[in-house]
Amino acid sequence: MKFKIFSAIIIAKAMTFLLRLSGSGGTSLPGKAAMAVKADLLSYLSKDVRTILITGTNGKTTTARIISEILRKSGKTYFENKSGANLISGITAAFALNSTSFGKIKSEFAVIECDEAAFKTVGKHINASIVVVTNLFRDQLDRYGEITHALNSIIDGIRSSPNAALILNSDDSLSYSIKGLVPNRTYLFGINSPPYGLDADFISDAPYCIKCKSRYEYDFRTYAHLGGFRCPGCGYRRESPDYSADEISLGSSFSEALFSLKGDSIRAKVAIPGAYNIYNALAAAAAAGELGLRPELIIDGISTFRSGFGRMEVLDLEGISIHMILVKNPAGLNQVINFLANDPVRKILVMILNDRHADGTDISWIWDANFEKISAAADIFPRIILSGTRAVELLLRFKYAGLDTAAIKTTGSYQDVISEAMGQNTERLPVYILPTYTAMFDFRKALSRKYKIKKFWK
Amino acid sequence: MDELRICHLYPDLLNLYGDRGNICALRNRLEWRGIRAIVSEVPSGTAFSASGHDIVFIGGGQDFEQEVLLNDLSGEKTRLIKEAVESGVVFLAICGGYQLLGTHYTTHEGLQYDFTGIMDIHTIGDKKRMIGDYMFDMDNGGKPLRIAGFENHSGKTYLGEGIRPLGKIIRGFGNNGADGTEGARYRNVFCSYSHGPLLPKNPSLCDILLETALKRRYGDYSLSKLDDSIEQRASELIVKRLS
Repeated sequence: MKFKIFSAIIIAKAMTFLLRLSGSGGTSLPGKAAMAVKADLLSYLSKDVRTILITGTNGKTTTARIISEILRKSGKTYFENKSGANLISGITAAFALNSTSFGKIKSEFAVIECDEAAFKTVGKHINASIVVVTNLFRDQLDRYGEITHALNSIIDGIRSSPNAALILNSDDSLSYSIKGLVPNRTYLFGINSPPYGLDADFISDAPYCIKCKSRYEYDFRTYAHLGGFRCPGCGYRRESPDYSADEISLGSSFSEALFSLKGDSIRAKVAIPGAYNIYNALAAAAAAGELGLRPELIIDGISTFRSGFGRMEVLDLEGISIHMILVKNPAGLNQVINFLANDPVRKILVMILNDRHADGTDISWIWDANFEKISAAADIFPRIILSGTRAVELLLRFKYAGLDTAAIKTTGSYQDVISEAMGQNTERLPVYILPTYTAMFDFRKALSRKYKIKKFWK
Repeated sequence: MDELRICHLYPDLLNLYGDRGNICALRNRLEWRGIRAIVSEVPSGTAFSASGHDIVFIGGGQDFEQEVLLNDLSGEKTRLIKEAVESGVVFLAICGGYQLLGTHYTTHEGLQYDFTGIMDIHTIGDKKRMIGDYMFDMDNGGKPLRIAGFENHSGKTYLGEGIRPLGKIIRGFGNNGADGTEGARYRNVFCSYSHGPLLPKNPSLCDILLETALKRRYGDYSLSKLDDSIEQRASELIVKRLS
């Protein structure tokens, strides 16, 4: 029994070491190999660690980063599963790598982001202290099917953690509906005033009540289907959140808001821009608050954390700032477009659309993204470069959004993208790169061939 | 100035990934030719006018909202949609929108939902989803038109007497994965399983819809040519991959 655990951990550690020597940062293979030796290794390793599980469609990585930063500032020891290894294999590997060969975890906390479809399986192995559900949006229907499947997967996964504090988004009628379906004590986070004003346009993924199918009415909306929803049919409605933000001002490199953490009101800055990151900050604040961490350290963490891999991540390459923002679904992409079009700084825009399995083979969602906003603000986008396996489809989307396609560069070569965005960037304009999942890894590889940037597992 | 009135029927319920792309193509390809496009939305709970539209678009949806949809269709609306179809209004119906023009849908557990019965087609739910890039040849009186799209459906649709398929499957599943047919044609109704942006990538099909509607409204009509080189490149990429 003990020997199996020992072998599984050693295998995971050794394989990871060898993979890194060969230049790969993969953790999914070592995880799979360890599970082949001991299928429930994760249950064993996680039982004495206080685990914070973060799931939902968008914002998992950023929320995890902020929680980690607050733990660090509070002097706690923790580990996390970095670089998007958020299926059972990657999570198992993260625990194995942070354990002694005899299965003893050295850290007090584990901050784990988990894919929403995998949550059902991962949840079974972990008796978490905190479960955070950031939000639910339509995402990769070719992989996940209907949005309600993700919801059911999350509900199933929570059942093994009956003592966990459950952190839900009060503004999201989909994920908030979990409250009451599970016995967990529940705490809510939400935004009390619309960050984009009242006339912003929205595509809703959830216009009809999840409980009775009447059409929701809204007191206010923040974005997509999020906001002050109420159902005239059955009375299901947004509840006032325990952790909230008001008086939001959005900037190019950070936002500011008045945070209320269970009654403690503090005006503070969120270290990375974009209204959606205020939600991530609140989700992290709620998790940290329920772990009993001090409000001033929570605020400090929100104001100073460094963004995760490809999440509003900024690299400075030879005096040009490169911003990497992963895009994967219309709700997320619309938030990024809002941010880019509302920030008046002139910029070079690069979008890289791949349609491999991990990106989603169905790229139809780009037609739900509001590229018309980029077209309306065309003068702040003097150079647009498109790449990836479906670059031409992007070009087509930009054409129908009203952009001048003759001024757009389309190329299959990342070296071309780099020389267009960097080499010919005499004004040193900031470069915003919007890659899909596999494009983010490939493009970073191409960048690191030309510039010194850190490997993603570090 | 000539004009077409385009109706997006059920944009609140039938709006799965990228369906808006079709409205976007219809509108742009009119405006690029100096023809006015008047786009209106008819969500559930609002009235549909049988004579108020030249082109009606119906997209695909999730199962969750099907009940809301069937309630809305149970009243006057079914009769008015049928009236529009019979009078020759151009329809483009995709996936769920296609299925609801038929007589019924039987789930794979055997539960039957009655649909509008506007066309003699019916759909049977299957456990296995039919997903992926696909292509078909559309019958276009002479040289067939090669159409590239993406399908994602679990319903298998069967055509009754008097209903022609929209085309013949070259790669992929189409209506049911068995009889080689894709989509349906009836009066000026065009149905397909190609969800998302079918028209931007297949501009000839878009122009067939526009021209049919313009002829119906203004008599003889022929559309000027547009530069479709980007559209062709996008479509050819899929055709090449599947060939």
